[in-house]
Amino acid sequence: MQVISHYRLLDYVWLTLMAMTISSAFIAEATEPSLWATLIIAVTVALKGLLVANRFMELHNAHPYIRASINFYFCLVPFMIVIVYLFPEFLADMTRL
Amino acid sequence: MVANCVAQTALTVETIERAPKDNRVPGNEAVWVGIYAEMTEFGLMFLIYFIAKVHYLEMFSDGPRQLNIIAGTLNTLALLSSSYCVAKAVACVRANRFKLAERWLWATIAFAVFYLFVKSWEYHWNQQQGINSDTNLFFTVYYYIAFNHFLHVAWGGGAILWAIFWLKSGGYTADDHQGLEAIACYWHMIDLVWIIIFPLLYVLG
Repeated sequence: MQVISHYRLLDYVWLTLMAMTISSAFIAEATEPSLWATLIIAVTVALKGLLVANRFMELHNAHPYIRASINFYFCLVPFMIVIVYLFPEFLADMTRL
Repeated sequence: MVANCVAQTALTVETIERAPKDNRVPGNEAVWVGIYAEMTEFGLMFLIYFIAKVHYLEMFSDGPRQLNIIAGTLNTLALLSSSYCVAKAVACVRANRFKLAERWLWATIAFAVFYLFVKSWEYHWNQQQGINSDTNLFFTVYYYIAFNHFLHVAWGGGAILWAIFWLKSGGYTADDHQGLEAIACYWHMIDLVWIIIFPLLYVLG
């Protein structure tokens, strides 16, 4: 059985993060704002955050409260990105003084 | 072939032995108080960004297009790479490879300096385009968030320099390197925050 060491795994995670960042920059340059572009960006933020937190920060086997709180953060913010795109008027009404 | 198997087994055993324990607090409790405080602070800034955006949709749609996407992308690549270098350094310390760990930490410093240089250049470029903190609300939010993050990279770099000094002084061992883990976690937090800042300020139109 091929065992990938943690040391080697970091290389693959880094390459994945580089590819996702360049894709985001391409989306920013080449596409107009749309639901699909927003969804892709939100998913990219979530994946990048979860990869850094769980692999670089080594939260994948850390205390469950710490792992859950950081993972939740990186689900909440992408969710907000999509919600702000979908319901800006509703949110503006809710936050008007 | 047997030698290869033995070497592979030894490597696997070492990896298992040196892997961090389950259910632990990475670094120490104190650094996590700091990390939660920082992430709450930036969380409030993101909330302000979202609220400002729904009230000024056009302004927040035009804003990212006026910023320098190349600078933003280069800084994202630099910070992710710096985080990778810190993770490699921690893995090296666990494997008793201290000289290599020191090189990874110096690489982290190089990426941090690169980030600070690009960010400073970007602010200069903004000025040349007539963009400053009171141009409109988007740029006020941009400068507030981005400069706050800039300061975090600067003092986080200082913490990495401290880790290098401590490593060279023999302060970390494969079994006891809690301080290095704490500094590494803080640095990863700085990277995590930028992962959100980049799309909010540079990508989402």
